[in-house]
Amino acid sequence: MATIVLNELDPKFKYEVAKQPGGENIKVCFSCGLCTAGCPVSEIDENYNPRKIIHMVLLGMKQQVLSSDFIWLCSLCYTCYAHCPQNVKFTDVMRALRTMAVSEGYVHPSFPNRIKEIDNFSEKLRHQMALSILERKTEDTQTDPAELLAKASQEVERAKSSVS
Amino acid sequence: MKSGPSGLENKQVGAVMVVGGGIGGVQASLDLAESGYYVYLVEKSPAIGGVMAQLDKTFPTNDCSMCILSPKLVECGRHLNIELITNAELKEVSGEPGQFKVKILTKSRYIDANKCTGCGECVQVCPVEVNSEFDAGLTKRKAIFIPYPQAVPSIFTIDKKERPPCVRACPAHVNVQGYMALTSKGKYKEALEVVVENLPLPGVLGRICPHPCESKCNRVPLDEPLAIASIKRFIADQAKDELLPQVKTERKDERVAIVGSGPAGLTAAYQLAKEGYGVTVFEALPVVGGMLYVGIPEYRLPKGVLEQEVEAIKHMGIEIKTNTPIGKDLTLDTLFTQGYKAVFIAVGAHRSLELGIPGEHADGVVHGVTFLREMNLGREVKLGRKVTVIGGGNAAIDSARSALRLGAQKVFILYRRSRVEMPASDEEIEAALTEGVEIQYLVAPTEILVKDGKVVGIRCIQMELGAPDATGRRRPIPILGSEFDIETDMIIPAVGQASDLSFLEGSGVTLSKRNLIDVDPITLTTSRPGVFAGGDAQTGPGIAIEAVAAGNRAAVSIIRYLRGEDLREGREIKEEEIKPLGLSELPVGEPRKPRVQMPTIEPERRQNSFDEVELGFTEETALQEAKRCLDCGICSECLQCVAVCKAEAIDHKMQDKIIELKVGSVIVAGGYELFDPSARYELGYTRAPNVVTSLEFERMLSASGPFQGTLLRPSDLTPPQKIAFIQCVGSRDAQNPYCSSVCCTYAIKEAIIAKEHSTVPLDVTIFFMDMRTCGKDFDRYYERAREESQVKFTRAKVHDIENKDGTGDLVVKFATEDGGVRTEDFNLVVLSVGFQASPGMISLAKKLGVQLNPYGFCQTRSFSPVETSKPGIFVCGAFSGPKDIPETVVQASGAAGSASALLAPVRKTLVKEKVYPPEKDIAGEEPRIGVFVCHCGINIGGVVNVPEVREYAATLPNVVFTDANLYTCSQDTQEKIKVMIEEHNLNRVIVASCSPRTHEPLFQETIKEAGLNRYLFEMTNIRDQCSWVHMHEPEKATEKAKDLVRMAVAKARLTEPLKQLSLSINHSALVIGGGISGLVSALTLAEQGFKVHLVERNSKLGGIAGRIHYTLEGGNVQAYLADLIEKVTNHHLIEVYTEAYIVDAYGYVGNFTTELMRYRGPYIEKIEHGVVIIATGGQEYKPGEYLYGRDPRVLTSLELEEEIAEVNPGITNCNSLVMIQCVGSRDDQRPYCSRVCCSQAIKNALKLKEIKPDMEIYILYRDMRTYGFQEDYYQEARRKGVIFLRYDLEHKPEVRAVKENDHYPLKVNVYDPVMGEQVIINTDILALGVATTPPAEIRELAQFYKVPLNEDGFFVEAHVKLRPVDFATEGAFVCGLAHAPKSIDESIAQAKAAASRATTILVKDTITAEGMVCSVNEDICSGCGICEVLCPYLAIAVDKTEKVAKVNEALCKGCGTCCSACPSGAAQQRGFRRDQISSMISAALGV
Repeated sequence: MATIVLNELDPKFKYEVAKQPGGENIKVCFSCGLCTAGCPVSEIDENYNPRKIIHMVLLGMKQQVLSSDFIWLCSLCYTCYAHCPQNVKFTDVMRALRTMAVSEGYVHPSFPNRIKEIDNFSEKLRHQMALSILERKTEDTQTDPAELLAKASQEVERAKSSVS
Repeated sequence: MKSGPSGLENKQVGAVMVVGGGIGGVQASLDLAESGYYVYLVEKSPAIGGVMAQLDKTFPTNDCSMCILSPKLVECGRHLNIELITNAELKEVSGEPGQFKVKILTKSRYIDANKCTGCGECVQVCPVEVNSEFDAGLTKRKAIFIPYPQAVPSIFTIDKKERPPCVRACPAHVNVQGYMALTSKGKYKEALEVVVENLPLPGVLGRICPHPCESKCNRVPLDEPLAIASIKRFIADQAKDELLPQVKTERKDERVAIVGSGPAGLTAAYQLAKEGYGVTVFEALPVVGGMLYVGIPEYRLPKGVLEQEVEAIKHMGIEIKTNTPIGKDLTLDTLFTQGYKAVFIAVGAHRSLELGIPGEHADGVVHGVTFLREMNLGREVKLGRKVTVIGGGNAAIDSARSALRLGAQKVFILYRRSRVEMPASDEEIEAALTEGVEIQYLVAPTEILVKDGKVVGIRCIQMELGAPDATGRRRPIPILGSEFDIETDMIIPAVGQASDLSFLEGSGVTLSKRNLIDVDPITLTTSRPGVFAGGDAQTGPGIAIEAVAAGNRAAVSIIRYLRGEDLREGREIKEEEIKPLGLSELPVGEPRKPRVQMPTIEPERRQNSFDEVELGFTEETALQEAKRCLDCGICSECLQCVAVCKAEAIDHKMQDKIIELKVGSVIVAGGYELFDPSARYELGYTRAPNVVTSLEFERMLSASGPFQGTLLRPSDLTPPQKIAFIQCVGSRDAQNPYCSSVCCTYAIKEAIIAKEHSTVPLDVTIFFMDMRTCGKDFDRYYERAREESQVKFTRAKVHDIENKDGTGDLVVKFATEDGGVRTEDFNLVVLSVGFQASPGMISLAKKLGVQLNPYGFCQTRSFSPVETSKPGIFVCGAFSGPKDIPETVVQASGAAGSASALLAPVRKTLVKEKVYPPEKDIAGEEPRIGVFVCHCGINIGGVVNVPEVREYAATLPNVVFTDANLYTCSQDTQEKIKVMIEEHNLNRVIVASCSPRTHEPLFQETIKEAGLNRYLFEMTNIRDQCSWVHMHEPEKATEKAKDLVRMAVAKARLTEPLKQLSLSINHSALVIGGGISGLVSALTLAEQGFKVHLVERNSKLGGIAGRIHYTLEGGNVQAYLADLIEKVTNHHLIEVYTEAYIVDAYGYVGNFTTELMRYRGPYIEKIEHGVVIIATGGQEYKPGEYLYGRDPRVLTSLELEEEIAEVNPGITNCNSLVMIQCVGSRDDQRPYCSRVCCSQAIKNALKLKEIKPDMEIYILYRDMRTYGFQEDYYQEARRKGVIFLRYDLEHKPEVRAVKENDHYPLKVNVYDPVMGEQVIINTDILALGVATTPPAEIRELAQFYKVPLNEDGFFVEAHVKLRPVDFATEGAFVCGLAHAPKSIDESIAQAKAAASRATTILVKDTITAEGMVCSVNEDICSGCGICEVLCPYLAIAVDKTEKVAKVNEALCKGCGTCCSACPSGAAQQRGFRRDQISSMISAALGV
């Protein structure tokens, strides 16, 4: 079994990440693993483990984290962000880690641009997927888009009347 | 209180209001009532009991929750000094501590509590079912209900909301929901009776009413409104033969004249006749019914229907004179001279309005009113070939459709606005179109074209719609130059109607400007006294139901007028807006159901035929439609309950009441709400029937629950084989960041019980993050679940739960700690939902001015755990944060103690004394035994054949009465037992039910209230010993129950009344231990005026708290402690003995003697005291592991705290610090959790981070047990950068200090499960979170006071749930660490609780001792002294002079040891004499 010697690591790393925009909540993580459980990337690559990445940051494994491929695998789908009970905002943390990796020289500057392109593309894709879901009434749900719409417009009316 | 009675104190009120009737409120009430205060217990629901009543079992002993709660509820319900104010809400509190004024709204139950016998007949007939709150919505209850069988008070309640929108929208307020509910149950006759209460023409209105009610139906936002009118028609058609309205009272002499026999006149006549008045109706036409007859064609309203209903009305003794107009020959004056005392004018509007265009009087123009009248009277009408009808109302449509039927080839309707504005009802317009009527919109006639005096056509103009006019409809405006002609040979104008009121000229009845009769809108009185008017003649043309409403209104006025009563009182017309419900306000899960369509005859069959077009509903469709009703008002006011209630206890007109009370103090025990998992879509609660909440599961497990205790899953009622529990649902997340504290242990309990209840092998997994079983004995429970019950524990937070296609099974997705993403299938998933603040309590807190914490729970402080921010208002239970039952009970007693201390000067000023009837002398009487056999719901009745046992009991000798009860412990049964004792002159009572341990005192009290000595009661346990242990052998269980009853009868025949000693009470207390617990107990007692002896071993007071400097919340412990010590040492009623050792103790409740020796003092001091509170505290475990004691860098966390407090730079300036938790706790040696170490670690870490923010702090833990709001600080520590690494017992951390160069680094090696690797930490300081252990002297004390210790060496309370600070030994109490490890606030609450419980004894002048004690027959006793040696209570001793054994009855506990050892048989146990036991054995053996 490998051994991690904390003194050989950088205990300040967690604070550095927390100072990055988006990295603020990293330390709040209590290691519940919901991020990993819901992660579509983990589903494909069993070695990809968001919980572990956070843990590595907390332990001060700066070099290992910033040089790792993992931080570039995240598809920024926000599933973990939405489910996290501690509001760690891991998707934002991931962006912060990428920024740090770039500025610390762990990747070639052209790499993030390429990633950005892929991100934009996947964002478009997600948008389309979301739309297609909204258009299709899923079978196991009793929620009817028409009903949601009616409810929403009711809320709008109520809000309006309360304003007036 | 130190200060003597002052003016203010004299004004104090010796009563306390307790808000909330859960276990906390109940305990606080009982303590206060027993301490000399009058208690008002205010509960919002109809019964006390709270959530505990809903639970199946309680942890960690798996006791039946209801079984242990019920006696408390009954005690509370029958306590002379507790007044239950249920179904009530606190509205206002004013005043100051000692003298509050409170206002309470008591909501009407609609049932007279004094008359209700609880027979339940009403429930049988009630047609309305709603979700049962008690069964967490898994079953239904009726609108009239009792929350659960053992409810206290056992009074029924009617659940009634504001009247439903349909009823309010109906002008005549016909009780729609009422007849809908009855129809849905197939009770058509009863439904019709509800209708005819306000509407004597149900069949007529059911056909022709435009039903304004339907547009307000709450189903509108969901799907379609209920077909209300059609259902009314259906029930009228069903029950018409039975519809014979009854005259309610005897006939009266006064007669009333009614002018006009339309709906208004007929309704008024009917209502007056119902009250016994003579009525004559004068009708100008040759037929009865007014417009109903002459205005509505037969295809809509068959004449037969109208005639039949008119007949029924006439049948009530009403005289109807047709062809008798009022006017020239018969004036109003004549009517009065003929003796009519009042007149109601309801002549309708039978005159048609003119078009006001040229050609209107030509041949071929027939007004709609005239056309319809002539047709309906069977007269010939000259019909055209091409007919043009003008107008858009129902009369226009009726005319058009009739013309078609009479043979017109073509029928047009011209209407000047568009379809939207058309006043005719939609159904009518649709029907007309179907039949071939053509409607031209936005067209107005300008001239009738006449040739040879005959109509040949009509000139029209196109219109457009402008701005809305006064009616709210858009005004039609002619389009210039758009005129066109239509060829037609008959024109039927139907543009409006008016009344012919010429007959009123000179009658003294004045008309309005609009040429209508002028009336008072509320009373319908005209300008002439005694004359009333209503209907179309008063309002202008309206719909029939409005005329009916006027008839009702007029009848009320006339009756009042005739009786000389005020006509207006209570009749103000409330202009209330009927708001439709939003979708979210509709009942959860209400499916969409389409409205049943009214079947009609084919359009082709309508030509030339006046057959009724609408065919009516069939029984099937009517039932289907009626069941769509949402029961918006809950109670439908169908009055079926009134009809069956023999006690006449129901009054639907009861009003809510505001009561005002004066109280000295308030205790808020308002409880909590469970998190609603609907908000967590991913967990499937709203999508999957087999995902249930823990409370629902609790009900599913309960014998009184929906499945009678058989474990079945909701979707298909099959037994699940694999169940998952999901922890932290609604806890420890972004929404509710705190820990709900109890869910881990309750999940374990439910898992164990589920396994026990399951009929198939059951696999249970609990998904959790940290297992927080940190209560007393909870870790053992956890281990037991794992090892004995084979419950699986998976450390993972569940991501989502999905339906597995169509099977009802569920797929649970989670990630394991090593990073693997897993799914697992389950048959059933239980969500362990957390606690949250209830909105009701939040608003109450605002009213009280009580401060809340950020999560909406009551804010309390470390050193004042039962105090709110408002002096004089105390808090207990889950209202101040999530907690379990014992903690709630502790706080309840603690709050009671605080209130009691506040009001001590006015103690016993408002209480009443209980007076028992004189005891009956039964000497010489033959035994007359009554046997009551209990079903205990299905607890007993589900296995044992209770009726058979009862019948058997009746055959036994001396048994003169037997009965079987559903719940023998319920309050109504207690009353029944008393009545039966009286009626059958019983002198022995036997209850065959459950455990005497919990229930015997209750029944003994009952028979005492009936004048019997309490020892004439016998109890036999046919639940634990029959139905429970022989669950699968019902016949044998029944036989055994008979055997037990036979034995009880045999014994009862030999029982005799026993005397109980009355013991005096020494009013001082001994408190052992001078730590926080002891100090607080002592002070609480002294403040109430009791003398206290406080004994401490050390030279200083303060105990372990002397080493604690701050609390997690930041409280300054030393300041608090110093203040507390000062108060105690200065209190004139407290005597402090330091460096004092207890060397002996003896005595009994009220009369203890404790001997002690002080340091360097040669003498033994004797303290006499009435009660003893043991608060000996705990001590810190000194570990042998982790280099403690061998390396100066290794400390305990308490030592660390002391160093931090002293700001030792070696500590506060170090770079890295490791804490290892669970040192000496939760291991083989000490298998308990020390509860405080996790928060202590967090506390120290935060303090260090405050001093040196970049210090690296690592906390190695097994489960972080920061329960409740401590979770906030756990999060805070992480936010500050403290690193938490989990370890388990298989991978305990290793600590080494090995020389490296010149250094001697301290290395901690730990396996990190997330990394899957060993982690080595070089640390400057190592702090150990060590166990709290019991103090050394605890065993001695346990022996002195004869109180038990548990396996861990802590004291054992009398009952883990409901008597957490009492000892089984009366008069002895425990608090603080001596009971179990706990925090300072918990110790303070417990100390106050112990003081409060002790107070209940100290306030009494005497106490009654046990009567079942040993007695020695001195004639036989040889004085051998064996008994003296054996007696564990030192209650028996051989008298030196008389040489016989003498019993000290006050000391004797009736254990029977001496009796079993006595060689001569001289020692006998009263109540268990040798002959009694022998008789039982003989009975058992049948010899």
